Amino acid sequence: MLIEPQGQSLTAIQELERSTGEKITDCYQCGKCTAGCPASMDPPPSVLIRKLQLGMFDEVVSEQSIWSCMACLTCSERCPKGVSPAAIIEGLKLIHLRDMDPQVQAEELGQEFLAQSTQQAVVSGFRKFI
Amino acid sequence: MSSEGNIRVPYYPGCTLKTKAQGFERSAMECSEALGFVLDELKDWNCCGASFPLTKDNLMGLAGPTNVLIEAEKHCQEHNVAPSVVTLCSFCYNTLKRTSHAFKEDPSKRTTLNAFLERDYQGTIKVEHYLEYLRDTYGFDKLAEQVKVDMSSIRVAPYYGCLLLKPGKEIGLDDPEEPTILHDFLDAIGVTVVDFPAQVDCCGSYLVMREPEKAMNLSSGILDEAGEYGAQALVTACPLCQSNLDKCQRSKTSTKDGLPVLYFTQLLAMALGLSTENHQFEDHQIDPRPVITACGIGCSEKSE
Ligand code: SF4
Ligand code: SF4
Repeated sequence: MLIEPQGQSLTAIQELERSTGEKITDCYQCGKCTAGCPASMDPPPSVLIRKLQLGMFDEVVSEQSIWSCMACLTCSERCPKGVSPAAIIEGLKLIHLRDMDPQVQAEELGQEFLAQSTQQAVVSGFRKFI
Repeated sequence: MSSEGNIRVPYYPGCTLKTKAQGFERSAMECSEALGFVLDELKDWNCCGASFPLTKDNLMGLAGPTNVLIEAEKHCQEHNVAPSVVTLCSFCYNTLKRTSHAFKEDPSKRTTLNAFLERDYQGTIKVEHYLEYLRDTYGFDKLAEQVKVDMSSIRVAPYYGCLLLKPGKEIGLDDPEEPTILHDFLDAIGVTVVDFPAQVDCCGSYLVMREPEKAMNLSSGILDEAGEYGAQALVTACPLCQSNLDKCQRSKTSTKDGLPVLYFTQLLAMALGLSTENHQFEDHQIDPRPVITACGIGCSEKSE
């Protein structure tokens, strides 16, 4: 049986697919992405994708675990179906960020922390969280 | 040493190499000079954006790297050299290389970016990592012939991290799961290589900005494993990996209980018998000098 997301959720998922260039239904739930993910995400990438397949967009987009993804690309490298879970997760993050919902408050990071951080971490952090 | 007549290699440093990782840049510059080529910095450059945007519609994230590629193209035309640019930082390498790949895959993106930036990138630049240059252009065999110091007494774990290799199809530097380029480099300069399973695991990357403990745990795991396999030091090509791996040893102060993390160019400098005085070792949490010296390798503060 093919479960089709309905209504508003369908539109949101189609928009996610458009923005990321990924196809949610390409995933056949082998779990390889989750097995290799170093970020101890709960729920992990394959479960996030399964829930999207089931149309549970609102639940997935508000999962905290998406913010722990480090874009290490292990999942995308290993997926036998050519899906990039990392891209899907970034698409979910961007829904928040484009809606002005930052996940790190720049002013709270502190001068000392910023001073000892590498530039690439700061720039990446700003791109991924703010 | 005079650089007259030396080969000039177009070079993009990126932000971190001018600030937190100056030891990486300086060691690479000095090694290059000793090997007979010059890293020729682009005249005008900006931040590459650090992270390549993973979503297909995020063209804004390509503006930074595209501008760098444009400057590189301009540089190569002006200096009449083959269109290429060499980087040292894995993040810059990944971002620039993926950007040039995105343009090959979808030329309309280049058109859009050119229109937005009001410039004209022709898509010619080949993005290369310094390691790649040493392997494919200079040659590891020739490199081995330049080694002046016996490095075999130190056991070093090659740590690749993520962005130097992934996605394998786009980066194409090496096998993304079982790479050998750093192993081969260490072999060439005579270092004893410690092959360890965590060599391509993630160090925690930019997660330090949001969940630092989690990032530090990942880095600690990598160090523990390298230690278990008998490494006395790690080498990397990425300033963020270096920083995470080094900082997670904050509670440790010496090489007695900590593992120093070096840039591959710093070991190269030692192998070539160059001074390490500009390597910024004093900024490392775990200063590599004691372990290097204990291995009987010169880690001189002055040029001989
Ligand atoms: S590896 Fe690919 S196919 Fe397997 S569960 Fe993850 S996304 Fe789905
Ligand atoms: S890219 Fe993100 S989801 Fe994928 S394996 Fe790495 S941390 Fe996990």
